[in-house]
Parts: sequence; C-alpha cells; structure tokens
Amino acid sequence: MRRPTSLTLRLTLLFGIAAVLVFSGFGWLIENSIQRHFAEEDASELETISEAVSDVLFDTPFKSNRTALARRLDDILVGHHEASLQITASDGQIIYASSGPDLSVLVRTTTSAPGGGLAQNWSDGTDHFRGFVRSATENNQSDDPAYSIAVAVPIDNHLRFLNSFRYTLWLMVASGIIIVSLAGWAAVRQGHAPLRDIITQIHRISVNQLNTRLSPDTVPHELTDLAVSFNEMLGRMEEAFRRLSNFSADIAHDLRTPVTSMMTQTQVTLSQTRTVDEYQEILYSNIEEFEQMTRMINDMLFLAKADHGRSKPNIASVDLVREIRGLFEYYEAWAEERNVTLLVEGTATVSGDQLMLRRALGNLLSNAISHTPSGETVRVELDTSGNEETRIVVENAGAEILPEHLPKLFDRFYRVDRSRPEGGTGLGLAIVKTIVIAHGGTITVVSSRGLTRFRIILPKPVTQSG
Amino acid sequence: MKLLIVEDECKIGDYLKQGLTEAGFIVDLARNGLDGQHLAMTESYDLLILDIMLPDVDGWRVLKSVREAGGNVPVMFLTARDNVDDRVKGLELGADDYLVKPFAFAELLARVRTLLRRGATPVAETTLKIADLELDLIRRCVTRTGQRIKLTAKEFALLELLLRRRGEVLPRSLIASQVWDMNFDSNTNVIDVAIRRLRAKIDEDFAPKLIHTLRGMGYMLDIREED
Repeated sequence: MRRPTSLTLRLTLLFGIAAVLVFSGFGWLIENSIQRHFAEEDASELETISEAVSDVLFDTPFKSNRTALARRLDDILVGHHEASLQITASDGQIIYASSGPDLSVLVRTTTSAPGGGLAQNWSDGTDHFRGFVRSATENNQSDDPAYSIAVAVPIDNHLRFLNSFRYTLWLMVASGIIIVSLAGWAAVRQGHAPLRDIITQIHRISVNQLNTRLSPDTVPHELTDLAVSFNEMLGRMEEAFRRLSNFSADIAHDLRTPVTSMMTQTQVTLSQTRTVDEYQEILYSNIEEFEQMTRMINDMLFLAKADHGRSKPNIASVDLVREIRGLFEYYEAWAEERNVTLLVEGTATVSGDQLMLRRALGNLLSNAISHTPSGETVRVELDTSGNEETRIVVENAGAEILPEHLPKLFDRFYRVDRSRPEGGTGLGLAIVKTIVIAHGGTITVVSSRGLTRFRIILPKPVTQSG
Repeated sequence: MKLLIVEDECKIGDYLKQGLTEAGFIVDLARNGLDGQHLAMTESYDLLILDIMLPDVDGWRVLKSVREAGGNVPVMFLTARDNVDDRVKGLELGADDYLVKPFAFAELLARVRTLLRRGATPVAETTLKIADLELDLIRRCVTRTGQRIKLTAKEFALLELLLRRRGEVLPRSLIASQVWDMNFDSNTNVIDVAIRRLRAKIDEDFAPKLIHTLRGMGYMLDIREED
C-alpha cells in the first residue's frame, strides 16, 4: 500500500488551491470591471460627439456653407481631446475629416445604423482606437440617410493603464496566494504541536514504565480519543506484561521446588554408603519428580503455543456426547472407587478441535471428580439453544470455593489449597480456559449452595467449513 | 535386532545406548550426523533413532539420504521441538515415529518394540495365553485356571494390550492412549485405579501374579520367577 501524503502537505496544498481560486476570481473580476468602465466611458464620449455633430449637420447656417460647418465641427472636437471625426455623404464623398487616423476603414467595415452600431477597437499599427459609425438623417426620416458619421477616440492611455494595473494586480494575487499558503502551512505545523507532544510522551514510555498514562485533559479535544485509546492499550499491555512476568516467576518457583528437593535428597543419600534398596528408593522418588516436571513443561509449552496463536484449532464437527461418554469410560473406575456418580444430560454437536476439546473437558471432569465427596454426583449438561451457541455445564457437589478464589481460578499456577498439590501442575484450568478462548468461547464458574458449576459457552461457528 | 542411535547430546546418547542394550538390542551410537549418515548407509540396521537437531547433518538429511538410497528401515525421530510442521515434515520424509523430549525411557522402549514388530507378519490369533490365563478374542471372554472371569469392555481391552505386549513395560500414557484414546497428559491416577481393578479380578486369588508395577515407569504383564 502506498504511504498516504503528509498531513501538512495536504492541508497546505488545500489552502494554496483555495487561495488561488479566491484571489484569481477577485483579480479577474476587478480587471473586467475596469475594462468595462473604460469601455463605457469611451462609448459615452463617442455618443456625445456624434450627437453634437448630427445636431450641427442639419442646422440651416451650415447646410450650404461647408467651410462654416468645418469650423463648427473643429470647435466641437476641441473639447474632446484627440477625438477624430469623418463625415461621409450618402454619395460616398467625404465632407469632413479631422486630423488623426483615417476612419475610412471603420466606415467600410461597419454597417452604420441610425440607432448606432457597437463601438469597435482597432489599431493602425502604432496606436489603438475605439470608434463607431452612426447614420444621420434629416428630421429623422429614416429611409434617407444623408450622412454617416464616424467617430473615434484613442485608447492607448487606457490600455497602458490597464496593462500596468493588470501587472500590479496579478503580482498582488500571486503574493496573496503565497502568503496564505505559508500561513496555512505555519498554522498546520502549529496545529500539529500537540500531536508532537504526545509523540514525545509516548517515546518516553519504556517497558519499565508501562504504568505511565497520557493525560487526556491536556490535549486538544480532537486528540482526547487518541489519548484515551492509547491509554487503554497501555493498560492491556501492562496487564499482559504483568501476567507474563508473574508467569515466569511462577515457572521458576514451581521448577525450583522439585529441583531443590531432588538435589537435597540425592546429596543426602550420597553422603554415606546405603543399601541397594535405599538407592532404588531415591531413584524412584526422582523419577516421580521428573514426571511431574515433564507434565508441567508440556502444559506450559501447550499454553505458550496457544498464547502465540501457533496451535490453531483443527476444526471439525465434534459430537460432545460421544466425547463425554468416552471421558466417562476413562474416568469410570476412578470415579467408582471414589463413589462418585457420572451423569450426562442433553446433546450437542459443535465444530472445534476434537483433541483440544477433549483435553479441556477431561481437565474439567478430572477436576470435578477429585473435588466431589463420596456418594455425590458429577453432572454434565449439554445444551444448544436455538442453534446459536452451545452451553456446556460441568457441575459437582462439594465444598464451595471461596469467592476470593473464583476470579483467579483460571490463572496459571493458581491453587486454591497450596498445601494440597495433588500431583497437578496448577495449569489444568488455565489450559481449559485457553482452549475455550481459542474456540471463541467463554468460561465462567460459580460456587454456591454446595454446588460448583463451570459453564462454557461456545459460539456458533461463522462458517461451516471453517 | 540391531539399532542405530544418532544423538549429539552425550548423556542422552549414552543412556539410550545403555538402556536399549540392556533391553536386549545391539546398539550403535553415532555422535554426529556425518558419522550417523555413514553408518546408516553402510551397515544394516533394523531401526534408526535420529535426533533432528544435529550440529552438522541434521536428522532429516540422514533420513533423506537413507530413503533415496532405497533403504526402508523404520526410522524414529527424537526432537525437543513439538511442532506440527516438523511432525508433518518428518512423516512426509518417511519417518515412522516421532518422540518429543522429554520422554520416558519406557515410552521409547515400547515404541521401539512396536516399530520392530511392524515388520513381522502378524499372526491372526484367536486366543492369547499366559500361564493359566486365557483370553478368547472371538468370544471376548477370559478364564483363569478354567474359571470364567467377567471383565468390562475396557478391562478386556487393557488386559489384551498387556497380554499382547507381555514382558514389556507399558507407561501409563501409552496405556491411556491405546485403551481409552486419551492422548493428553492427565491424571494418571486413573490408570492406577483401572489396573488395580483388573488385578483384583485376574490376580488376587491366583498365583503366580501376572501384572507387575514398575515404579516410576509403568506396568508389565509377565511370569516372574521371583514373585
């Protein structure tokens, strides 16, 4: 997967794009309105001139006197700086042409209308002009255009101004974009400061300080969730780490005890010459300790593998009644000797690892039988409620387990009665719990009114093939 | 019966050799993979016992070269690593058994005997006998000195196992696995109780005693002179 772009870069780019759009929009708007303003100004000037000219053209004193007319027209133009004018009669004869650019081009290319065509821009090579052509009709008799009036004003000044204004404008737009982007970048950096603070805090947490917590109240509220969930994760890690440390300590303790006893026994035996029987006795006693240690090592390995998810359940359909019956056959003689009755009620088929489930149920049964007083019963109830989850209850009569022991019952090496080891490894119920969890189930225990009940709930498997 | 042990740990190798020699086998011991490979290829053995983790040529390579050379001698692996992948790999390469350390010597001995017996043609027996005890496999009934003894199905299976492997020490774990199909290390009390009950039925009122307890190792069915 590609690594996502840095947050700073993303936000800065976003700011930049927004700034470009906004500033360019404004720039374009300003440039356009100024251009339009100039165009309107020119148009109104041209209009003024052409109206004045049409008034004069049909005035009686000038009708026949071209010289006087020319003088009068010159006067009109005086008030309008550098405006040019050309009047053409309907027969094509030029009646008047002011100094300045030749307007014949304009006349030729423009259809003159009495209402007035649109103003046009053109250039004679060096200078730029705006102008239009109007038809003038005596007494507004529209079908007989007497003259066409071409008027033009130079617009080089406007263009020059516009050019320099445009340059300044876009320079400002560009600076604006840069400034906003930089400000955005700085704001983002600044905004990330609390994040960097948290990172610094997290960096400082080492294995020995798993009890450290981030303080969710001192971070911006957007980061509160992060701090809280990080704290929760730390909590889980601390718990797991504590368990692991305790587990190692327990292993050391539980191995040291048999090793010490064997060592003492063997050394004492060797300290003087003994009979063959005595030597045999010490070797037998050693074998028993070794067997106990071997069992413990095997159990610990099983748990270690299950903890690392290395022993994946080998899923198949398991008939629990058959498993229980098989286990009953196995424990039968022992239970009879203890005068304990074994009972199973209900049926259930689950999908799971047969060997692991058998081991879990075997541990539970063996535990139950050994804690049941003579004449009492160990009862197993199987129940699959509405095809959803499977309930397995292993219940035995007998002395209740004190409430303070219950939560720790499934802990490794936890023994209710330390003075009565009974040859167990102290890992039996921990293994049961591990197996149940590997199957996605839960296990609980209650002990009251002379009954101890272990209850396993196995979920309905998600897929049949698993 | 000639066996080859390839084991680099001195103590384990020595005691395996001593134990198996005392059990009546002729035993060669190689202390590294190269010697082991050489011996396995040149000598003729009835069984190879190979440690997997060896400093030079590992147990798998030894097995591979033996099988490639066409040898079909039974092979048992010893390993400290109990891991399904390893087990599968060993069996795929043609190993016949797989024993995880730490193991009980009685367990090893029982399995060695099973592997060696595998080659022999089994005799379709209908009755098993020792002293005056008789087991009728077809009618599933037991008599001692002609007297009929009632056994439960599991007691019968247990007696059959002991009888088929008379003279061998059977560890409790092996009994649990063979008779009840229980392959986890559980309360071994259970086996003791079952044996005690069987004893009460077939041994208590009779002589000689047939079922013997070998402390720290397991049980054995045999006629012993000293009893």
